[in-house]
Amino acid sequence: MKKRLYLELENCIGCRSCLAACTQCGGHEQRNRNYVYDVNPLVNRQTMPLMCLHCVNPACARSCPAQAIQIHETGAVLSALVEKCIGCQNCTIACPYGIPKFDTEQNLMYKCDLCIDRSKDGIPPMCASVCPSNTLQWLTDEEIEAKQKHFTLDNGKWVTSMPYLEGDTNVKVNLPGILQGVTKLF
Amino acid sequence: MQEVKIRDKFFKEIENVCHPNETLIKTHCAYCGMQCGMNLRVNTKTNKIIGVEPRYDWPVTVGKMCPKGVTAYQQTNHPDRILKPLIRDDASLKGTQEGFREATWEEAYDLIAKKFSELQANYGKDTLSVFSGVSMTNEKCYLTGKFARVALQTRYIDYNGRFCMSSAAGGFLRSFGVDRGSTLPWTDIHETDCLFIAGSNTAECHPTSMFRVWHVQERGGYLIVADPRETPIARRADVHLDLRPGTDLALANGILNLLIENGYADEEFIKNHTNGFEETKELVKEFTPEYTSQITGVAPEKIIRAAEIYGKAPNAVVMFARGIEQQHKGVDNVSGYTNMALVTGKIGRPKAGVATFTGQGNGQGGREHGQKSDLLPGYRKITNPKHVEEVCKVWGITPEEMPQPGVSAYEMFELMEEKTIRGLYLLCSNPAVSAPNQNFVRKALKGLDFMVCADFYLSESAEFADVILPTVTWSEDEGTVTNLEGRIIKINKAQEPLGESKPDWQIQAELAEKLGRGKYFSHLKTARDVADEFRLASKGGYADYYGATWDKIDEQDGVFWPCKDEDDPGTPHMFLDKKFYHPDGKAKICALPYRPPAEEPDGEFPLRLTTGRVVFHYLSGNQTRRIQFLRDMCPEPYVEVHPETAAKYNIEHEEYVRLFTRRGEAEYKVKITEAIRKDTVFVPYHFGHEKSINLLTIAALDPMSRMPEFKACAAQIEKLDMKKVQ
Repeated sequence: MKKRLYLELENCIGCRSCLAACTQCGGHEQRNRNYVYDVNPLVNRQTMPLMCLHCVNPACARSCPAQAIQIHETGAVLSALVEKCIGCQNCTIACPYGIPKFDTEQNLMYKCDLCIDRSKDGIPPMCASVCPSNTLQWLTDEEIEAKQKHFTLDNGKWVTSMPYLEGDTNVKVNLPGILQGVTKLF
Repeated sequence: MQEVKIRDKFFKEIENVCHPNETLIKTHCAYCGMQCGMNLRVNTKTNKIIGVEPRYDWPVTVGKMCPKGVTAYQQTNHPDRILKPLIRDDASLKGTQEGFREATWEEAYDLIAKKFSELQANYGKDTLSVFSGVSMTNEKCYLTGKFARVALQTRYIDYNGRFCMSSAAGGFLRSFGVDRGSTLPWTDIHETDCLFIAGSNTAECHPTSMFRVWHVQERGGYLIVADPRETPIARRADVHLDLRPGTDLALANGILNLLIENGYADEEFIKNHTNGFEETKELVKEFTPEYTSQITGVAPEKIIRAAEIYGKAPNAVVMFARGIEQQHKGVDNVSGYTNMALVTGKIGRPKAGVATFTGQGNGQGGREHGQKSDLLPGYRKITNPKHVEEVCKVWGITPEEMPQPGVSAYEMFELMEEKTIRGLYLLCSNPAVSAPNQNFVRKALKGLDFMVCADFYLSESAEFADVILPTVTWSEDEGTVTNLEGRIIKINKAQEPLGESKPDWQIQAELAEKLGRGKYFSHLKTARDVADEFRLASKGGYADYYGATWDKIDEQDGVFWPCKDEDDPGTPHMFLDKKFYHPDGKAKICALPYRPPAEEPDGEFPLRLTTGRVVFHYLSGNQTRRIQFLRDMCPEPYVEVHPETAAKYNIEHEEYVRLFTRRGEAEYKVKITEAIRKDTVFVPYHFGHEKSINLLTIAALDPMSRMPEFKACAAQIEKLDMKKVQ
């Protein structure tokens, strides 16, 4: 049963556990590949993670002159192949979300590969495994559909994936304000 | 019989990843009372811990960890570890990191035995003291109590729970007659209809509770949060009661008054299962929403709305933490909020009850088994001759040999200052950062004739020691810990002790031998030996662990105390039979007159200073400040100031200011945020030396729990660089 990374932005508590956990994936050489931002730091404590959305037609891979960015059969957009990456940084410019990071010492791009050693076998990536607030979840399409039925926003939309973003993404993102559609128990 | 193995909607069968040449050791985190399950990754060639893997099959936290948990393993083989005993011959260097030389265990033990014996010969047995902590296993906590009373034969032992859980303990004992931090398992929390959370920055201090908290709202339930700051949990609350620091009791009384007035009192429950209702009803009448608002600064509509939601909720859980407990009326605050559950009868059934978020990893177990100045194993009282007799039988001493009760943690520093106490054995704690009124505490430590510190890093407190004994981290020993639910769980050993470090129980048994008290300790060769004696010592007490064998803990995913014998599965839910632990079986609804904080703001010190934690650090920071990731995320303390207040003082974001009180001062970077009251400033307390906010805090103690008032005192800000303004 295929599972996807699903983000419920409203849940984020800014703990950065996803950043710490990213370094713990065996394939990540102790470097984290994701981001957490303070949305409005002088005003409140709202934070949000910025993860690779694993685009169906990824700009990073399209922009790569060396075909160093491969797409796994699961849809995960992998980190640049060490032997192919020429360090041109096209991908870091092309990505609309600023996801790929660049190692200037090794002249090499690196990015989220959805912990491919885990996710290829259906095991959640490290970030979604540890996320204490369930901002990052690892769900089946049925579970995501159930979420979609449960939450409705007043603009009729519930995910940011379309049409606001670059194109269809394998990772689904839920908008802040998701609770406004919930019926209270009493 | 209650269901023993709980599998809730968050539990998923997930296979772990185990890399080649690695093995996974199941255990729990080193830090807070959540005790998140984790697997430590151990390299099978070097036999060293090299990483962490989620423990998806742990029912409480299902693989989740906060950033402290994810990086906790980095403590074990950290370059800062102390690998050999250290001796400092030049006492004039006390209070610095200078002058320590490496020594053998033999030399260190001999020196300690000589100095301790000399001091006791000259000044009496009680000239020695033990200051302990509860970030360690029940076995170690238990043996530390025995070590003080049997090996050192002193009355003066106390522990850092006085800065952590003692108010919760006092409040629960008064209200229920028993002190188990949660009346229900954590797997109930997301199924309740209303969470009333007071004085808990849950998202930062107990982050792995958050997926359950959010789920209550996702189901359409309510979240009410009482906090002077709009913390990440308060940001999403249905009602945020943004009260002035130190005014919780007024809020609790105000809400109780509304619950009674608006017909939410459960008269049947009150009549059959409680005492004290009428008197309390009279007392809280005065606390109208308007009067409560005057004291607390919370808008009357919010108080009314909160009471309405809690009253209407079919099931609700009242939760609280250090925010209400670290006050000089902390015990009253606990009983005050607990009144809400007792008056409405929302307790003694699944999905309803009262819980405190235990701070330290073993804050629950560590306070039950005899590290407290007046307690013995099993929550027995040292002033109760029957209790003393029961423990003496296990220890092999006569009741006459049992020392008298001592004094609380902060009061021990006062006795050091006046030379009643001249020697100290410090372990598992860092009071040179964590105690209030640091200028006084550091002076007291410096003035000691002889001090031993057992720790795995050279903490700020170790800087005052004559001898430092290298202990192991949590991952190099085994034993049990009792988490914030009251669930006894097992910590497993993943690596052999680094260098010459040893577990505290072994150090104490060996030192007892040197002190001529070996016959009471020499049979304790392994952690399991200590565990067996400890279970026996707790047998028959309120906190009965006798039936909680290590095998049962493994089979059942932990055992909730009380657990009296081999056939007893333990007690996940307390009071299901509506029987409380007072002699008449009834709980106590407490009439609690309001008292303001010990130090109220005035013209000279117009601001309210409150302190707390950040998600990246644990307690005094002795462990977490050494972990690169955590240090990068939060390298130094700061003072949170509301923009309107900052404008008054003409100070800007990220500017350094002088913050001062009647007791001390420090310089902090300003963090401007609207997420705090205008009359309040906040500083995290994890930092040492000149950055410690406890240089400023007040040592006003709760009369019952002896908890200092960390959460409220009067302060003032001064701009540092006047030139910069012009």
